[in-house]
Amino acid sequence: MISQINWALVAPIIAIQVILMIIALVDLFKTEKTNGPKWMWVLIILFINILGPILYFVIGKKHA
Amino acid sequence: MKLMEVSSLTKSFGKHVAVNNLSFSIEEGHCVALLGPNGAGKTTTLEMLASLQKPTNGSVSFLGVEKGDYRESIGYLPQQPVFFPWMNAMEYLVFMGELSGLSKAKASMRADELLELLGIADARKRKIGGYSGGMKQRLGIAQALIHEPKLLMLDEPVSALDPVGRREMLELMKMLKETTTILFSTHILHDAEEVCDDVIMIHKGELAITGSLSELRRRHQEDVIIISADGNLDEWVRSIENWNVVSKVIANNDTIKIYVKNAEVARNQLLVEIAERQLPISRFTVGQTSLEDLFMKVVGK
Amino acid sequence: MKKWFVLFRKEWLEMSRNYKVIWIPLVFVLFGLLQPVTSYYMPEILKNASNLPKGAVIKIPIPSSGEVLAQTLGQFNQMGILVLVLAFMGIVSSEQRSGMMKAILVKPVGYSSYITAKWMSAVLLSGGAIFLGMLASWYYTILLIGDFPFMDIVKGISLYFIWILFLITFTVFLSSFLKSSGLVAAFTLLLSILLTLLTPLLKKWMEWSPAQLTNAAASLFTAGKIEGPFLIPLITTVILTALFLYLAGTRKSSLSRLG
Repeated sequence: MISQINWALVAPIIAIQVILMIIALVDLFKTEKTNGPKWMWVLIILFINILGPILYFVIGKKHA
Repeated sequence: MKLMEVSSLTKSFGKHVAVNNLSFSIEEGHCVALLGPNGAGKTTTLEMLASLQKPTNGSVSFLGVEKGDYRESIGYLPQQPVFFPWMNAMEYLVFMGELSGLSKAKASMRADELLELLGIADARKRKIGGYSGGMKQRLGIAQALIHEPKLLMLDEPVSALDPVGRREMLELMKMLKETTTILFSTHILHDAEEVCDDVIMIHKGELAITGSLSELRRRHQEDVIIISADGNLDEWVRSIENWNVVSKVIANNDTIKIYVKNAEVARNQLLVEIAERQLPISRFTVGQTSLEDLFMKVVGK
Repeated sequence: MKKWFVLFRKEWLEMSRNYKVIWIPLVFVLFGLLQPVTSYYMPEILKNASNLPKGAVIKIPIPSSGEVLAQTLGQFNQMGILVLVLAFMGIVSSEQRSGMMKAILVKPVGYSSYITAKWMSAVLLSGGAIFLGMLASWYYTILLIGDFPFMDIVKGISLYFIWILFLITFTVFLSSFLKSSGLVAAFTLLLSILLTLLTPLLKKWMEWSPAQLTNAAASLFTAGKIEGPFLIPLITTVILTALFLYLAGTRKSSLSRLG
């Protein structure tokens, strides 16, 4: 059963995802320009599991 | 003493020749303007001198020594200076100083001095991304001066600035030329006249005229008589073109510029003609050509 | 050499200011942790997800430790490479476009130092990320599934890393030639996909392929020893890497035309 899941094992995974989210959001607010509107990236970072922050870092930021 | 001597400098991109057989020299301690219209090859020339581009042909020597690379002795400010927006001014200057071969301690000392000198010391810890255009220009000069170069090269340092920024930059250049040899490019004669001692005029990649400003004024000044009229003088203009005393006539709408060999003789002859023919003259001026006219002549407009 | 370190330090400062130093390793650790966890809970997840009739028994064998680690490697080979290539595609080209390259090269700095400092920092960050990710995967695999020799992990990562080294070098190489970062990523990913797909398909012809190193590392995990070609691809990969690095670090005359 799901209740048998060992939370001690899953907690680091969740923690990493949260850290990635926070870094992505911090970076998003510090960046002047993004590819596409900022609010869209906020949604992507917050609601696309695992991939959201990664997507932001690799294609969301406008380079130079 | 000659700081830099350039001979037969040539750069071609395929069939297009951007700089053609350009020779000139820069005296130590002078402020030299590289003057020419847009597309004359100014940036290409400066970049070759800064070792950013390889010349197709020709040679450059520095203080009598010829080697390929003088970057240690040159400070360069590109036309649009760019920076790492994520660095602050201090970090950037120390980084550039260390790249120029200074120790970290020496670089930070120079950086402090320059930030003070250029009046941006208050913003030394601020991210460059938030700098205004004028501040970036100052920081650009600071990074060019960080390693105390013998020659400071500035590519169009004033053309992109607003009137206030332009004035500030010209004042800054006047201050810097006291201590450093400066070579700067511009397409505006007025800026060149204001700060520089010598001029190198180039057009279509070729050297047009070079010399000191005062010498050029003396050598190339011509007497000119400007006549404006309320009516059409075309016919008369064609008749005076053949006069001995007239060297050239440029008619532009109802204003006529007559370049003459002897102002006094020409003036008297012209006044007689005008009276006899009862020409509808509204203005009659006797004067001398400015460098602007020389520049325009060179550029061929 | 001192200037090389100045440039190298600048790359690390930049990577820490734009958080690459944190997020790239974290992504690899995340993928590394997810693989053993999903393998372990897969039977249960399936049981809960599907509306099976009562009494139906699903028997999904939990894979062995080595298989899980090989799966992690497979994950790195897809998502991992994608992330690395996209993260480093603009390493040279973006500075060329912005004019920063000229601003640096106007100082007495060698072009090859400029390129190799960038290359080295990208290589070290990627290597570190892969190593951390694989270690994380190994740790969870031991906890959930069963023991696995540490030395085999180190050997496997090292082999696999040479393949990544090759791809990173290719990315830097293209980035120094092309203006468009997007094209850099497209070509590098295309090369990676072609090599990865064609290597098992054309076994006879592709013995030299750098992608063989991935298979060699995977076999080390699943079978405990390297199966298939290993020395030849190792040699060609090292040679190709050196070649691309050399080409990237040699200043092109075309560079001056881009101004």
